[in-house]
Amino acid sequence: MAEQTTRDVINEIRGTKTVPGVCMICPWHCPTENFVKNDRIEYVRGNEYAANKTTRCVKGISSIHSSRDADRLLYPMKRNSSGVHERISWDDALTQIAERLKKIKDEYGPESLCSLFHLDSNEMFTHQLLGHLYGSPNLSGHGAACDQDRRLAAIATFAHPLPVKDYANSRFVMLWGADPFGPNEALHENRELLEAMKKGCRLVVVDPNRSRTAEKAHIWLPIKPGTDGALALAIAYRIVETESYDKAFCDEWVHGLDEFSQHLLSNGYSPEWAAGITGISKETIIAVADEFASTKPALMDGLKGLVNYTTGLDALRTVFALNVITGNVDGPGNLILKEMSPLGFPLEIPEEAATIPKKPPIAHAMGYPMAPDLPTQLLPKAVLEGDPYPVKALFFHVCNPAMSDPNTRLFEKMMGAVELSVTVDIYMSETAQLSEFVLPEASTYERAEVRESMWAGPQTVMAQPAIAPLGESRPYYEIMKGLAEKMGYGEYFQWDSWEDWARTCTAYLPVSYEELKEKGVWEGELRYHKYNTDGVPTSTGKFEIYSTMFEELGYHPLPVFSEEHRVKPDADYPFQLVNCKMQYHCGTHTQNNPYLMAIAGENWVELNSKDARRLGIADGDMVEMASPHASARITARISEAVQPGVVRVPHGHGFGRRFGSIAKGKGTHVNPLFETRVNPISAGISFNECKVSIRKA
Amino acid sequence: MSQYGFYFDKEKCVGCRACEVACQVWNDAVQTVKWRNVSCLARGTYPELTGVNASLACMHCAESPCKKACPRTAISKNEDTGAVTVDQSRCVGCMLCLWACPFGAPQLGAKGRMEKCTFCEERPVGKIKRACEEICPQQAIVSGRIEDLILHSKQVAAERLSWDKRIEVILGHEEE
Repeated sequence: MAEQTTRDVINEIRGTKTVPGVCMICPWHCPTENFVKNDRIEYVRGNEYAANKTTRCVKGISSIHSSRDADRLLYPMKRNSSGVHERISWDDALTQIAERLKKIKDEYGPESLCSLFHLDSNEMFTHQLLGHLYGSPNLSGHGAACDQDRRLAAIATFAHPLPVKDYANSRFVMLWGADPFGPNEALHENRELLEAMKKGCRLVVVDPNRSRTAEKAHIWLPIKPGTDGALALAIAYRIVETESYDKAFCDEWVHGLDEFSQHLLSNGYSPEWAAGITGISKETIIAVADEFASTKPALMDGLKGLVNYTTGLDALRTVFALNVITGNVDGPGNLILKEMSPLGFPLEIPEEAATIPKKPPIAHAMGYPMAPDLPTQLLPKAVLEGDPYPVKALFFHVCNPAMSDPNTRLFEKMMGAVELSVTVDIYMSETAQLSEFVLPEASTYERAEVRESMWAGPQTVMAQPAIAPLGESRPYYEIMKGLAEKMGYGEYFQWDSWEDWARTCTAYLPVSYEELKEKGVWEGELRYHKYNTDGVPTSTGKFEIYSTMFEELGYHPLPVFSEEHRVKPDADYPFQLVNCKMQYHCGTHTQNNPYLMAIAGENWVELNSKDARRLGIADGDMVEMASPHASARITARISEAVQPGVVRVPHGHGFGRRFGSIAKGKGTHVNPLFETRVNPISAGISFNECKVSIRKA
Repeated sequence: MSQYGFYFDKEKCVGCRACEVACQVWNDAVQTVKWRNVSCLARGTYPELTGVNASLACMHCAESPCKKACPRTAISKNEDTGAVTVDQSRCVGCMLCLWACPFGAPQLGAKGRMEKCTFCEERPVGKIKRACEEICPQQAIVSGRIEDLILHSKQVAAERLSWDKRIEVILGHEEE
């Protein structure tokens, strides 16, 4: 008899059945297990066969509510002439959308459709229908509002878009503007980092504010906002000056060490220089640089705290260069250039059926040839002015730029002007409220999905429908199938059950379909130092700290520190606004959640006690926060975790002008305060280039 | 009689409250107020700050003050696990147990009866983790027999001695 698993024990207690799933709260998509009885989700936990094991983050465990939430979208809707959404049948909705898409393609070309997603659930079907068949080159994630600079820096340095972290084997970890212990990244990474620290791994955190991760750090560097690039360059300067880089590794695998060294020294990017900019002492910079260079294995990584400034791209290029020159690449305890599972597309579409777009992807046409994701904040220009070319149709799949992009008023204006707007979501997001068509998607509990996980090695997740879809909601693949039929592509979207296409996707995996279905995950071998056997797919075949891609496209091949595009506080607006994420919320889907709203029902502006005293503001006071563009009323929190002269606001709140019995009217939407400022190379949104004034309301 | 309990690792807790919600979700049918609570404390002024996050539920004490205080003898101690639980049919919600408890563990529930951590009484000990422990992303909570937890605690301390290069180590006081 097979040994009883902990799944079996729970099923015995609760009379349930285990259905493997995947979490859809944030883009790290942890593999899960759902325990089901009588078409109801009784309990959820992490997948014990996956790297996160049985664990869930607070948002993940709370998300059980979305399997039962009566406030979800339950039927398709269309906005009538007076701006009110009315119920419509699936058949009518899909017929009308298909007709309009055809008309738009005939008149303006397929490029005038842009389709955006946040959580890329079943996004393969968008690629096959709206990409391959319809011919739009403008299918994109939410990167511009998220990790745009990190991704571009990683592509330039490693020719890999998404390095992950092998904390488990690390001896020295340095995190720049990243807070994995707060709003979370991949859950298993958090656990592994803390376990590594128990074994003596050192943690250094660079953040103006004392984040959850800074709380755990051995060394916290409370840097001046937006100056991380200067600190990184100074660390590199010290390493180059003392020749403490990994010479053998650099000789074999690094392109541009001489140019990089010369660049640092001739520009005088010394620890002394950086001390004056960053507020971190010269001695500390030298001590951190020396410890990093002498400790192996090590890794350095950064995220939104860097990306949110116009200086972020070059800061991240330098952070990645530091990993490279010290030989800390793709080995145990390093940044890992993750290998993907051999997954196929779900459908077979013959080449001759594909439409080849005639215009370039819109990011290129906008003047950002290296932008990994579409700069969504520049879409209004395309829709309203036809620049660089007309955009007439917008699709949003679980993506809410009305809430997440800067300059909300401009976004609203765009949505009023676009010819066709369609939002597919499980909730009536702000973007859905501004869309003509709103299509209800089945939640992650009610649909299948085959995808890659965020574990360091190749790992496939196969989520399966555990309960029936709520109301008339449909899984995304069924929505795409219905639309394909109306668009005349029905012949390619043929299946009786999701299992048909799931078998196609997973045909090349070295595991039986039945075993994959039973466990919900398949894990391949985590291979280290893959460059030894596979090479490095940059044009030089080496890791590039002197970027040939940047050079070819006319950009500086080496990272610099320039504050040319910064927005700094002044006498009228004396605070730097730092836009952060809340530990207890992520995106639209947590905002109507009773567990999470009981923990944190609204967002707030945090300011240091020194600033608060000066302004006569007490904890809990309502304050007026104004940028040169707009103002907002928001609750103040007095905190010692925030740097004087900085205010911190968790974004993504103020949800639900009309939506959600729990969410309605809660929190403050601060994005109207942000202007549309982007990194001039990556076109990532520089949210924190924002100065504000605060006064008691 | 065995005594079970929780080991809590403050170095691992990041104050995320997943344990609180795990407890709510698993005990959905019987819980009306939080049985497990996370406290996040901070001291000092920027940037000289210290703090701690602590996730606390019932300690399932060997000598339970709540049990002694209960005038209705509604509180009992499980023979096999040492878990301290409230018999809802006997409890009248007088809250004397809460007064007696040094940790504020028993809570007056929405049904007017005292509620508290049951040590997930349906989950067989030794076979499966408690819900809070199962979900905790950092695995900061460990449940087990007290003897085993003490051993675990010693192993964690010994682990530190294995890598710490300093000659003299005062455990738990390495960082300022």
